[in-house]
Amino acid sequence: MRGVSDMTATSSEISQTESGPKANSIDRDDPATFPDWFRARKARSNLIVARWVPIVLVGLPVLVLFGIVVYPTIWMFYHSVHDTNMMRLFQGNWSYIGFENFATVLGSDRFWDSTVHLLQYLSFGACLQVVLGTVLALILFELVKNNALRTLILILLVLPMMMSPSIVGVLWKFLLTPSNGAVNQALLNLGLISKHIEWFNSGISLWSIIVADIWNWTALPLLIVYSGRVSLPPAVYEAAKVDGASGWQVMRRITLPMLKEVIAIAFILRFTDAFKFVDLVYIMTSGGPAQSSELPTYIAFQRGIREFAIGEAAAYAIIIFAISAVIITLFLKYLKRVLKAQGIA
Amino acid sequence: MARLELQGLCKGWDFPVIDRMDLTVEEGEFFVIVGPSGIGKTTLLRLVAGLEAPDAGKVLVDGRDITALPPYRRRVAMTFESYALYPHKTVAENIASPLRARKTDAATIAKRVQSVAELLRIDHLLDRKPGEVSGGQKQRTALGRTLVADPEIFLLDEPISHLDAKIRHELRQQFHTLEDLRKVATLYVTHDYAEALSLGDRIGVMGSGGLVDVGTARDLFERPANLFVAEHLGQPTINVIPARLESHADVLHLRANQGDLLLPVDPARAHLLAARNDGAVTIGLRPQFVRPADEMPAGSAQVTANVDLYEALGSTGILIADILGLRITALTSPERIFEHDTQVQLAVDTAALHYFDPRTGANLTLQTPGAGAATAMASSVASGISSRAEA
Amino acid sequence: MSEKNYRLVRTLLLIFLGLWTVLTLFPIYFKAITAFKSPAETNSTIPSFWPKEWHPENFVSVFAESSNFQSLVDSFVIASGNTLLSLFLGTLAGYAFARFPKQAGGENLAFWILSNRMFPPVAVLIPMFFLFDATPWGTDSRISLIILYLVFNMPLATWLMMVFFRDAPRELEEAAYLDGWTPLQAFMRITLPLVLPGMISVSMLCWIFAWNEYLFANLFVGTDVKTYTIVIPTFTHGSQTLWNLQMAFSLMAMLPPVALFILLRRYMVRGLSLGVVKG
Repeated sequence: MRGVSDMTATSSEISQTESGPKANSIDRDDPATFPDWFRARKARSNLIVARWVPIVLVGLPVLVLFGIVVYPTIWMFYHSVHDTNMMRLFQGNWSYIGFENFATVLGSDRFWDSTVHLLQYLSFGACLQVVLGTVLALILFELVKNNALRTLILILLVLPMMMSPSIVGVLWKFLLTPSNGAVNQALLNLGLISKHIEWFNSGISLWSIIVADIWNWTALPLLIVYSGRVSLPPAVYEAAKVDGASGWQVMRRITLPMLKEVIAIAFILRFTDAFKFVDLVYIMTSGGPAQSSELPTYIAFQRGIREFAIGEAAAYAIIIFAISAVIITLFLKYLKRVLKAQGIA
Repeated sequence: MARLELQGLCKGWDFPVIDRMDLTVEEGEFFVIVGPSGIGKTTLLRLVAGLEAPDAGKVLVDGRDITALPPYRRRVAMTFESYALYPHKTVAENIASPLRARKTDAATIAKRVQSVAELLRIDHLLDRKPGEVSGGQKQRTALGRTLVADPEIFLLDEPISHLDAKIRHELRQQFHTLEDLRKVATLYVTHDYAEALSLGDRIGVMGSGGLVDVGTARDLFERPANLFVAEHLGQPTINVIPARLESHADVLHLRANQGDLLLPVDPARAHLLAARNDGAVTIGLRPQFVRPADEMPAGSAQVTANVDLYEALGSTGILIADILGLRITALTSPERIFEHDTQVQLAVDTAALHYFDPRTGANLTLQTPGAGAATAMASSVASGISSRAEA
Repeated sequence: MSEKNYRLVRTLLLIFLGLWTVLTLFPIYFKAITAFKSPAETNSTIPSFWPKEWHPENFVSVFAESSNFQSLVDSFVIASGNTLLSLFLGTLAGYAFARFPKQAGGENLAFWILSNRMFPPVAVLIPMFFLFDATPWGTDSRISLIILYLVFNMPLATWLMMVFFRDAPRELEEAAYLDGWTPLQAFMRITLPLVLPGMISVSMLCWIFAWNEYLFANLFVGTDVKTYTIVIPTFTHGSQTLWNLQMAFSLMAMLPPVALFILLRRYMVRGLSLGVVKG
């Protein structure tokens, strides 16, 4: 038996030579695998373009972003701890007041109410839309077999997404007009309600905004999940068919797991957009009635640009900025992983 | 027309890929680099082309140091494994690209493109896009693009390995006959050893870090620098037999660690081995030199074996035999028939044995010139290999 | 699941899809017919789901107010100007990230640029408002919006162009270098034609986002410059809202994005999903 082990030793030795040293087989103290030149090598530029070329190419947009994003953000940080208002800003005599602005914001019911509104909106503006979009996309792909019909339905469902928020806001304001709006009339005709619903009353107006937003944006997860499903390889499904798996089993065991990343990206996109969301509030309710449909972002703009309480607006902005920074960092980490797996990044 | 020199060339990413490599390719020489995939062959070409900057070392053309020159200032032409044809340009435009880059006048371009296309027999495809021609025609187009460039150095990266056998054979013959290729220094990279043996004026076998052995096909075949080279050149693969040196009646013998095989050491090399005190040695025995006893000259060392498997391949037969647990591949003449599990008497040409250090794999007997008897057979075997690789 | 149950579930799901399609189309349908109604009919106490009289002249008379047409021009100029700028900067940076990732600052820089698209613009808009106020153009200008829209469009363009450049094989460029083309020539002759479809889809996306933008415009412009998005909510005559003209106008304003989507939806999915879904 000794001979056999000798033989194995020889061949394994050869195969190691053959595949070359890998990163993990480097012995930093062994000059054979870690020669001096390798230790001393610099991250050299390539021979193709001068070292400054990529720096300039990337530097232009980075400079622009410093001008239009980084500088303003620092400005906001600065004024969030000052008593800046319109007059002081132009006279240049604002003074440091520590975290008073933050205390004002965090101590106000207005802020916490708007935060509750935001959470309400996020769960419907993002979560529900992604669930709905995913379900609709999969029904459309799996159950509608006629190709032309499928494309037609897809285009029709995506139409709302192509509209400006101002068109959407005005349209829904029009549709939901309590006295003679189309929605109330249609519900009456169908016998679902017996008297007009006051869509823009306190307590309902936020829901009206959410309905309009669902109508507007469910198409995004729908479109993304649908396209993700289209690009899944058919071979997997043929194998499942041979195995006799039922439609639901295929959906649960194959389709949904394979679409996991795509659905997650759709969610990330919707969630970050929802965080920025404010335009329908402006058009449909202006935050009212009595601040019952305000979102934090709305208050920040209102206080800052309309009422010129810049310090307080800055405090709002910084709070929103900090929370979104955490969320976006997490999302980007995930996105990086997905893209790495795809070989894009 | 120029000579290519690499001096102490180094390149690494996560680990050293090319480690202090020296090489000179003479003007007009067709130098083939062969080695397993992932070993850094393409990296070497990219260093010569200037697509990568070396971590250390120099690239010289005719003594001029071009290490710091960008690729578009070097007169180096290269074909890519993927052909890298511009998909939105026609075959003619693809071929004309290097001439356009040098602001050649239109009439000259047309003439050059036409003559190169005729040479490569793609002149009827000039107006097509790369997507509309076959793999072999793509490769010819890529080749045409390098040929019109009139470069100092040619680099060919696996130019025919993705083509089917018939076209591969055709293109390979073309490499032999292309005048332009024969006038400059050419580096040709392949993982196919038969291709290397057939094409190269000289061949470099690449292992991890650089060239393990350099020489003509015959050199490498008869005097491999180490076991790695021996194992990778030649079809069927060389028999590797761990063994031990023993003295019997004052004659040095080899006893295989496994199975009942005792062979006398060729007296011409015995003195080189005698000094090995622990006596362990790895034998390399090419299948060409172990044959049924009746096909070998009388007086060769003989051994009785059991037939395990026999394949008649038309031009030759391959016999896999078992000597009490030691498997040996032998060649026979093609018309023979061997039944499974029958006894066969094999004879070994002991003059053609290779002796390697079992630890380092180094050839222990390199100092001696190759055994005369083996030489003629080796070259015939080499050509036999290439014809099989086509099949 | 039995065959019968399966069919039932299938039917229910299809009904759900059909219902959703109807609910999605209903507002668009109502918008379209309203555009043809007379002002009296739009304000009647009981809304009609089919116009009693057709007034196609609404689509013309909406332009009697010259500022309405001017707002489309403003929107077009702003969207196009911003798209060109975003595409130019995004193409250069995307190329550097795709081809020279280490020297261009690495993937973290690329992700940072992308993150600018995701952040709520609240921390940016308020200072920019006062900053632009101090410039000769003021906030109420085309240039202010062209620059501001870079906040969301340039990161998108940079990111997507990086993805598209990564798709274009690097070897083609390298072959061009060996042919003797300089990097600029190789980029213009070889790489740019290859990423042209990508550039078109990126510019269409940027253009649509800029064309449809409401929030920034609402806060920044309104007197000298009006985008159509801030004109739409202001269709009033005295205390009455001119719903029919409003709907006719917004129908026309939404045509360009809809047409672009129908033509280019395959390419646009790639962009909308930040490059993850190949479409």
